[in-house]
Amino acid sequence: MSEASSSAGKEPREADGGTISAATARDHAAITRLAEDLLPALIAKLTASNLGEIEVRQGGWKARLRKPAGSDEARRAARAAAAAADGRGPGGRGSSLAIGSRGAEDTRRAREEAAAHEEPGHAAATSPAVGLFHPQKDLTVGMRVRSGDRIGTVDVLGVKQDVTSPVDGIIGSSLVEIGEAVEYGQELVRIELPERAVASAGAEQSVAGSRGKA
Amino acid sequence: MFNKILIANRGEIALRVLRACRTLGVGAVVAYSEADRDSLAAQLADEAICIGPADARRSYLSAPAIISAAIVTGCDAIHPGYGFLSEDEAFAEVVRAHGLVFIGPPAEVLERFASKEATRRLLGGHGLPTIPGSGMLRDQAHALEEAERIGYPVLIKPSAGGGGKGMRLVRSARELETVFNVSRSEAKAGFGDDALYLEKYLDENRHVEIQVAVDRFGHAIHMGERDCSVQRRHQKIIEETPSPALSEATRADLCQRAVKAVVAAGYENLGTLEFLVDAKGDAYFIEINCRVQVEHPITELVTGIDMIALQIRIAAGETLGLSQSDVVSNGHAIEFRILAEDPSKDFRPASGRIGAYLAPGGPGVRMDSHLYSGYEVPPYYDSLLGKLAIWAPDRAQAIARADAALRELLVEGVSTNIELHRAILANQVFIDGRVTTNLLDRVGSAPFVAAGNR
Repeated sequence: MSEASSSAGKEPREADGGTISAATARDHAAITRLAEDLLPALIAKLTASNLGEIEVRQGGWKARLRKPAGSDEARRAARAAAAAADGRGPGGRGSSLAIGSRGAEDTRRAREEAAAHEEPGHAAATSPAVGLFHPQKDLTVGMRVRSGDRIGTVDVLGVKQDVTSPVDGIIGSSLVEIGEAVEYGQELVRIELPERAVASAGAEQSVAGSRGKA
Repeated sequence: MFNKILIANRGEIALRVLRACRTLGVGAVVAYSEADRDSLAAQLADEAICIGPADARRSYLSAPAIISAAIVTGCDAIHPGYGFLSEDEAFAEVVRAHGLVFIGPPAEVLERFASKEATRRLLGGHGLPTIPGSGMLRDQAHALEEAERIGYPVLIKPSAGGGGKGMRLVRSARELETVFNVSRSEAKAGFGDDALYLEKYLDENRHVEIQVAVDRFGHAIHMGERDCSVQRRHQKIIEETPSPALSEATRADLCQRAVKAVVAAGYENLGTLEFLVDAKGDAYFIEINCRVQVEHPITELVTGIDMIALQIRIAAGETLGLSQSDVVSNGHAIEFRILAEDPSKDFRPASGRIGAYLAPGGPGVRMDSHLYSGYEVPPYYDSLLGKLAIWAPDRAQAIARADAALRELLVEGVSTNIELHRAILANQVFIDGRVTTNLLDRVGSAPFVAAGNR
């Protein structure tokens, strides 16, 4: 979420100067509103509530924030959120939603509020229960996984419960040792989001798409 | 003694058990659900572990989650608090099967006392006076026959129920015919067991309970009684000790019989024997609670005994360490259950963020609460916010101290029943010590508050 809301407001206007069309200007105004007013408010609301998902439609825009199952922490809510347009706007919008530009004030604010200490572009597989964590034998850093893929188990009194990836992505660092005791909801393995999701144009679709399945 | 105890409960009792562990020098791990991440017990504990989501079935009622948490944190015992799995013999058995100790009666003892009807027969056989009642009802014809023998009005009670849940008052044979099958299916739906029995209904009764403790070696003591007659819809809201309803002779007789009966029946650990006392002052045994009670602090205030520490020591296989002559009751104590309830909305449970919280102080004032300013009261569990327990040399002074303390107690952000408590304290029936269990419901709690405000 923090990535999506990043530079949406300011950068495009600076880049395009005064040459933008009226429709584009409207879109940009909408993005600004989305990034500066709506998203922080939605994040705050989602964090404070027990809701799993919030969706807001405004004009041709739609923003949806979703918490991953079994978590109510703000940063996870923010990370899993997806902002999506309904496809009405011009093709240039993808790049106007450039993700990862860190200079803007609203970016920092959103990230501080929502992402806490997390780097952007990460998700994490969490523990489904209290027990001992064992990763899949063939699990290696850099391996591609799909949302829902089993990446390990948590042993609860001899009964294995699956640990699954919450997103499509690439296996990152392990946050716990093999055989270590873990609690319910604990982050176990980092999942790096695919490069292009963090880069630019494809961001919207790939991030939103993968969340859709999660 | 244990090395480390897993506290498998929440709210004020988790905090109470944590305090007892620290007093005993035993390590403690607080097991909490996701909704209780910011709870005071989880924050104050040296170690805390999240065992599941807010839904109690997957956290505080999940035997695998709790036992797994105990094992991975290196605990050797589990304290279940009250409610949840505290009287579940299957849970106690599984805990033992994993090499851990359940802090409470052993599984076979819980099993022996699981059925109220069987318990009444068992302890009645060991000298406790019991209320006239039926055995398990076979069918409607059997129910009618038994009700005729006992005499109306009668209560239909589910054998598996508790805390007054699922009971029905029936005043005639005709009424019994109408509700028998409904009660049966309700019991099945509510408790997974459709076994019903009848009990004579005492219109004007008081609820008095005797606290006992028995160690593994059959040493037993009683710690006097508690009067829990101030109830709203069969839920206790004020408890006091000693009971204004009992004469010295009746009290001594009842306490002695209680100790004798539980020892003879092979009971172990803390237990509470509940009695109904009728207008004539005659007491009838109704059930035993095989756990620590919500209202245990008033007994602690008058006896000076740390009952949770005692419970833990008994479970660890130690002897009581005190005999009956060591238990000396001193003064009077009253407890008020501070509940998140909205009196303007028919006492519906409330939840929300505590804006400000201030516990009262002064001589003889004890507040057991998990509240703090900024705490979010989750909507998933019971409405108990804390317990205000007052001690004074006599009842009149206890009432005066209680009123001062209730005026001081500040809970902002959620509706509470504090005003109801003050109204009850100001009521002549309470002042005279004549409250019966049906008083609040007969008058209506809301008019009670309104009258108190005038």
